[in-house]
Amino acid sequence: MADYTLSLAHLYGDLMNTYGDYGNIIALRYYAKQIGVTVDDQLVSLGDTFDPKAYDFALFGGGQDYEETIVAHDLVGKKEALKEYIENDGPLLAVCGGYQLLGHYMEMADGTKVDGIGVMDHYTTNMTDASVTVDKGVRLTGNIEIKNNETGEIYHGFENHQGRTFLGKGEKSLGTVVYGKGNNGMDKTEGVIYHNVFGTYFHGPILTRNGNLAKRLLATALERKYPEVNWSDKLAQVQAESF
Amino acid sequence: MSLKSQLAKFTAQSSHFILHDILKRGGTSLPGKLAVAIDPDILSALSADFDLVVVTGTNGKTLTTALTTRILRAGGYTVITNPSGSNMVQGIAGTLLTTKVKPSPNGKKPVAVLEVDEANVFSLAKAIQPKYFVLTNIFRDQMDRYGEIYTTYQKIVDGIQVAPDAKVITNADSPIFARGDFKNQRLYYGFDNVKTEDYQDLKAPNNTDGILSPTDNSVLHYNFITYANLGKYFSVTDGFKRPELNTAVTKVSELTPKFSRFSIDGQPLRIEIGGLYNIYNALAAYAVGKAFDVSPAEMKAAFEENKQIFGRQESLKIGNKDLTILLIKNPVGTNTVIDMMETEKEPFTLITMLNANYADGIDTSWIWDAEFERLHDSKLQAVMTGGERYKDITVRLKMADFTIQETFPKTEEIIQAIEKAPTDKVYLAATYTAMLQVRAVLREKGYIKEEF
Ligand SMILES: [Zn+2]
Repeated sequence: MADYTLSLAHLYGDLMNTYGDYGNIIALRYYAKQIGVTVDDQLVSLGDTFDPKAYDFALFGGGQDYEETIVAHDLVGKKEALKEYIENDGPLLAVCGGYQLLGHYMEMADGTKVDGIGVMDHYTTNMTDASVTVDKGVRLTGNIEIKNNETGEIYHGFENHQGRTFLGKGEKSLGTVVYGKGNNGMDKTEGVIYHNVFGTYFHGPILTRNGNLAKRLLATALERKYPEVNWSDKLAQVQAESF
Repeated sequence: MSLKSQLAKFTAQSSHFILHDILKRGGTSLPGKLAVAIDPDILSALSADFDLVVVTGTNGKTLTTALTTRILRAGGYTVITNPSGSNMVQGIAGTLLTTKVKPSPNGKKPVAVLEVDEANVFSLAKAIQPKYFVLTNIFRDQMDRYGEIYTTYQKIVDGIQVAPDAKVITNADSPIFARGDFKNQRLYYGFDNVKTEDYQDLKAPNNTDGILSPTDNSVLHYNFITYANLGKYFSVTDGFKRPELNTAVTKVSELTPKFSRFSIDGQPLRIEIGGLYNIYNALAAYAVGKAFDVSPAEMKAAFEENKQIFGRQESLKIGNKDLTILLIKNPVGTNTVIDMMETEKEPFTLITMLNANYADGIDTSWIWDAEFERLHDSKLQAVMTGGERYKDITVRLKMADFTIQETFPKTEEIIQAIEKAPTDKVYLAATYTAMLQVRAVLREKGYIKEEF
């Protein structure tokens, strides 16, 4: 079998990995292996440089509020590189805190405002913000199901967040809420799609429970790196886990 | 004691008598409720009768409490303690009120050793001034309920702050315990079983929290790691490092699934339970014993006296199968169970059962932070799955590259599952409510008798 490799950057994997986000890498590797692709994951953390040309995939998970403030500070130094990666259609999965920090800002439960790097146009208020009219003051916790508006695919997960995210210009949602709360509990959107960035509040982790999405992200990354191969055909043979 | 307190105590004792002795049910919560309702100050009125030791943290509270109790008794103290599970303030009140405190054989003040949930430390410490706080560890645990580790630790600190005279016996190997704004004296316990020339420069694995230095939030390095984020840590940016130890594991001689041999402060010891993490519980209890002047020989005798205290981990015979039931509930706890299975010398089968009820934690994402992959290096021969969330755990193990022999969504079929194991040794790792369901089936079929 030919040697195909995806280089994956696990952004702040030592600090932003609160709800099994690493599982997304396990899922990618599981499907990749079945089509002869190796996934190499590398930790990119505090003080490290992120080389936008060196990676074929990036995972940016969620963390505790405390770690998130430390990461937000360090992230400023990686802003231009991440912007370049994203604008060049680099595939990136951002979960919870990682999703929030790619936007303009996020507010923690205690009201502290933490600046994101604004490479995407969404922003996140906290659960007690004046703009919050539904489920004000409570965490949005529980099982959730959404439907992707373009593919009609259904995604399952577990959400657990106090922050309320509102999408900006040029951002599409990952899906429309079938049941559960989603980005903010108010506008029925959950997650984001911008270029090849997929943001979500889903834990689960999302790629372990939604094999269709894992295969889609894998195809995106592989077609970008190895356009000569028909990846869709190969992936069509792989059975997707979904529960 | 005021008349009101006496009435409250009498009410508690008589309701305990009715519940416990007449109705034959272990009632510690109701008497406490009744007494606290009559006199909210009842606990502080009682505190003149004994020295209070509060044991708290994420994992290991129950065993640490049991071992501490045994050690202090071996040292001639009268000890009252709370049964595991009843560590809410009401239950504790019930325990203290319904226990007759006899004078200590050694002539010293009796001791109450209480297992207390992190969230209840403050209210208990406010009611009764503890003499010692014993901190085991802080790990992520069912975060849909308990919140982040720093929030959890702050709850303990809030309790310590209302008891400025209490000493804090704390796990030096856990960096989070280097934090906390309190002036109480700290007594440190930890591992010192690695020779200086064998020190390495390590970082904690990705799936552990609490790895930032309290001085400047840099990622901590380690000379050695015992498990998770525990070990001899140091900062590369400043001089911050693990504090000097007052009580240390100086040697680890043998680790098996059923027992461990090790030395504390040079004293060889043995406990009848596997798992390196349980040595931490023995170490914490030993540190408390030292604080109460119990001799090393008395402590050694206390460890070896009775196997029954090593509760949770339970071994049974099911036909010709040698079954061990293990509780799993969070990533670190599960990884320590995996560590223990790695010390198994005989081929074994693993049945993993996952539920996601309130008591288990309703978010199952933690299973992805448990390193099941490591079991490829063990004597594991076959894997089966079950529980209400069997789909989650089946996919988890499948993605860890295991072939799932069979899945049993119905707990009633657990006996068949055990019988189908290709090995004599069977490990059953289950979340809390799944374990209760398994036990109910085993009890119904007569394999176990006692209540859990
Ligand atoms: Zn979250």
